[in-house]
Amino acid sequence: MKRKNWVVMITVIFFLIGAMAGSAAALDEIRIGTIGPITGWATIFGQGNLNGIELALDEYNNEFNGVPIKIVSEDTKADVEVMRTKLDSLKNRDKVHLIIGPSLGHEGMAAVDWGARNPEVPMLIGYSAPEDITMRKATNSVVRPGWTGAQVIFNFGQYCAKDLGYKKIIIVGQDYSYPWDQAAGFIRGFLENGGEEVKRVWHPVEAVDFSSIMAKLLGMSKEYDAVLNNSGGAQVVAFFKQWKQFGLDKVYPQILGQANVPIVSMLSELGDSSLGVYSSLHYYDGNPSAANQKFRESFKKKYGHYPDVIALQGYDAVHVAFKAMKAIDGKVDDPHKFIAALRQVRMSADESPRGAFYFDKYANPVQNIYIKKVVKKDGRLMNEAVKTYTEVSQFGPYADMAEKYMAAPATTRDYPPGDKASYFKEIEKYFGKDYVENLKKNNGWTD
Amino acid sequence: MQSTSKTKATLLLASLALMIAVPWIASDYFVMMCIRVMYFGMLTLSLCFLAGELGVVSLMQASFFGISGYFIAILQTQYQIPFPIPPLVGIGVAVLFAALTGLLVIRVQGIYFLMLTLVLGQLVWALASQWASVTRGDSGITDIFAPVIFGISTEKSKGAFYLFELVIFSGVLYFLWALKRSPFGLMLRGIRDSESRMVMLGYPVAFLRYVAFIFAAFVASVGGVFFAYFTGLINPHSVSLTANVETLLSGILGGIQTLFGAILGTAILKILDLVLSGITHRYLLIMGILFLIVVMFAPKGAAGALQRLWDSVASRSSRGIMSVAKRASDDS
Amino acid sequence: MSFLVIMSLLNGLTLAALLFITASGLTLSFSLMRVVNLTHGALYMAGGFIGMSVVKFTGSWLLAILAGGGAMAIIALLEEKFLLRRARGDDLIETLVSLSVAIIIGDLVLVIWGGYPKSIEVPALLSGVLMIPGIGLPYPVFRIFMLVLAIFIILALWFFLMKTNLGITIRAGVDNFEMVAAQGINVRRLFTIVFCLSGFLAGAAGVVGGTAMMLVVGEDWRILTLTLIVIIIGGMGSLGGTIVGALITGLIYSFATAYIPEFSLFILFLPVAVILSVRPHGLFGSEA
Repeated sequence: MKRKNWVVMITVIFFLIGAMAGSAAALDEIRIGTIGPITGWATIFGQGNLNGIELALDEYNNEFNGVPIKIVSEDTKADVEVMRTKLDSLKNRDKVHLIIGPSLGHEGMAAVDWGARNPEVPMLIGYSAPEDITMRKATNSVVRPGWTGAQVIFNFGQYCAKDLGYKKIIIVGQDYSYPWDQAAGFIRGFLENGGEEVKRVWHPVEAVDFSSIMAKLLGMSKEYDAVLNNSGGAQVVAFFKQWKQFGLDKVYPQILGQANVPIVSMLSELGDSSLGVYSSLHYYDGNPSAANQKFRESFKKKYGHYPDVIALQGYDAVHVAFKAMKAIDGKVDDPHKFIAALRQVRMSADESPRGAFYFDKYANPVQNIYIKKVVKKDGRLMNEAVKTYTEVSQFGPYADMAEKYMAAPATTRDYPPGDKASYFKEIEKYFGKDYVENLKKNNGWTD
Repeated sequence: MQSTSKTKATLLLASLALMIAVPWIASDYFVMMCIRVMYFGMLTLSLCFLAGELGVVSLMQASFFGISGYFIAILQTQYQIPFPIPPLVGIGVAVLFAALTGLLVIRVQGIYFLMLTLVLGQLVWALASQWASVTRGDSGITDIFAPVIFGISTEKSKGAFYLFELVIFSGVLYFLWALKRSPFGLMLRGIRDSESRMVMLGYPVAFLRYVAFIFAAFVASVGGVFFAYFTGLINPHSVSLTANVETLLSGILGGIQTLFGAILGTAILKILDLVLSGITHRYLLIMGILFLIVVMFAPKGAAGALQRLWDSVASRSSRGIMSVAKRASDDS
Repeated sequence: MSFLVIMSLLNGLTLAALLFITASGLTLSFSLMRVVNLTHGALYMAGGFIGMSVVKFTGSWLLAILAGGGAMAIIALLEEKFLLRRARGDDLIETLVSLSVAIIIGDLVLVIWGGYPKSIEVPALLSGVLMIPGIGLPYPVFRIFMLVLAIFIILALWFFLMKTNLGITIRAGVDNFEMVAAQGINVRRLFTIVFCLSGFLAGAAGVVGGTAMMLVVGEDWRILTLTLIVIIIGGMGSLGGTIVGALITGLIYSFATAYIPEFSLFILFLPVAVILSVRPHGLFGSEA
């Protein structure tokens, strides 16, 4: 009984303290909140982003025009409910002027949801790639200096059909929205440029054993030309491993990869089995540009290993923020001005390691898309660009039909259809007969 | 005797008044914390009710929590069905699911109960994660908007949401408290302490366990309603093993058989989470160590009661191994 | 069609082998100590990572298995001696202790090895494919090795439990604790030995699994869940039950992944529910 009394009293005191405690926010500093999965299974997505942010801030000496910059770093633990809470706390308790993050797809969707309900806090989305963040769910305060799943892969589909000459492809991927997006973008590029069929095989996100899938792929090898691995993280390692174990490298050409497959951090683990893997992204580590070399070398110096595209997102976000702050003379306490400035930012090829980019009206970048291949240079595995498509927006080849694209049915695990006939029937519905006629006439996209 | 009940009553009223006053006296941030503690609290309460009254640890309470959340998400975002139908349907389905799984679950005790509920919880998680056409898989469903009650939008006003939740939460708390004090609660604890005796006395033991399980599921599902409305989204993580383990942790920290312990434990866990995340990345490590310490060295109250709980179950089940083992280790 | 069937059968068998190797330790510790050691998944993962580091530094896969298993045996020893023993025969507390240790080990692994997925190179001797005689299909040598290893462990355990004095004493302890203790045998020491053995098996399984698949933070909970399914289906405390449970789980998972991969996880949990509704203590479990 006595113990219980103590507990109750402590609770009441604690409660009162909590209730009275407001927040002590200084007025002459710029507060930036970062949010992402720092701990837990998704740590590489959160920590990478944060590393990039901190590296960029170092370049500015953690200050803007003499005003110190304070970073409040929050961890979502890959849990969206926690993220919502932390976003609220960044806004209410820490009163940040800008939020950079998050990194995961479902985090991003929830973040843009929050952004719509909290329009006075500018948010620079990091690595999250669902297209709806800057399409159907786009909201004024959310700017994404990143990419969408489909944006980086439309041209890859085109490349595989036109340049590599494949006709039928199997896509094996994790069953959630980001790989769905990647598959959909690939299908559009592939089928509209000469490809005939894309077969999608989905597996649980946390699949442990790929042996049955390998068996299936073996059985299909006579009919299909190549396999695209549409997963990220640990599943890629397992996939590549079992690919080799089951001897699939003997029946198929090199694996094709989605964006997350041959990123720098994966290459060291995949080793030589990654040689020759094609993929596409808005950034490639082998880019000889001065901006990229500076980024890579200073990252290596600070953290001991080379950066990947996840870190690039954080890095670029900070540079975008600074450019916007310059434009508004550092008056970040006027969020609407700040947001407007952010949306207007243009980065040149000297300013960003990925190349030049600017934002479309939905605040997603219009940027280069590189088709890259894994090669070995100086004993190190890296990605080299074999083809570059410039000024690609999130609508890809449909840039002048953006409304029609957004009005099309949303991507699911089976939509758009993977065989040519059904696919063309579908796009006739929302892109129109003329579009289809033009495709046939020009034998694909006129790019 | 009388003075204690009077002081108890005044304490209760005072705390009630304090709770109601929160939106006006406390910061937005604090209100948000209370909201979270309440909905997670209901989840923890459901676990602690079963642990306290029946002496069983369930690792699937988050399933009921999530089921109601998912139904609200689907009915509101896909079919635009207006409040209050979605939460009622959600709670109803969760209770139905409890009725179904209850048939399996009441047949086992102790460790088997824990493991079976773990696996059943994982079953729900697998469904939520893989039945993408309905649940949108791992991406989850967003855009859930909190309802408008008596003309006030609980979506826009955190204070209104808080009060709405407080009313329901108090109701749920009272419900559980009343159950504990009722003959039903007495019978449950009788089963917990000596099932064979209860059987001999002619009580419908299986039925009582079944009903308790359903009641607990009901409480969890109510929590899920507020979770969905406040966060505006639902995804498989809400029904994952992690969610269930965190609930267990909350219960252990606070004291697994008291209602107050459930709420206290939830508050401690959630506050620690926020406090620690600003200081260190080793949140899990610290929680694990804390968990270990509490489980092993918890004040006599919690540990002793747990021991009593399980001794009674153990003496009936494991052919006396445990009581003998205890004696053996006492000797060595 | 039949190609896929045969492959799924082989995949299921070899997966069952891995599951058995992993689950055998858990079964052992449960049969004597009536404790479901929830640390098991973490031991698997930690053992795997240690093995990976050993391979990196020494290049010897054999050493990796011994190191991974050995290290986990030591952790299990420490856990039993300092933590579980104090719980004084309290089922629930012992289980919760093992859960907290699992959480601690999980985070420590993250600290030491980081969040990036890793894997262990298949040793040269065991890599490549083999032509299965009679069927004429190529199949990875390493997976066949897993099957061989599982059989070896089954035989070794059988021999140990049936033929050696220690094993017989252990089985006697399972069946009638009081009698064994009354004979002056230090039952506590038996507990410890069994627990260490189960830890060794978990760590070794981690090295094998890390070679066949991959190692990453989060694997501990996945493996724990799979292992629990195997044990629940087969009935805890029964080695034969574990074999059956592993077979059922492995085969179902493989066939499901081949034919309906989108629902493979769900299909995995279903047999548990079905079997338990008929036999609450698993197929071969005894009424506790």
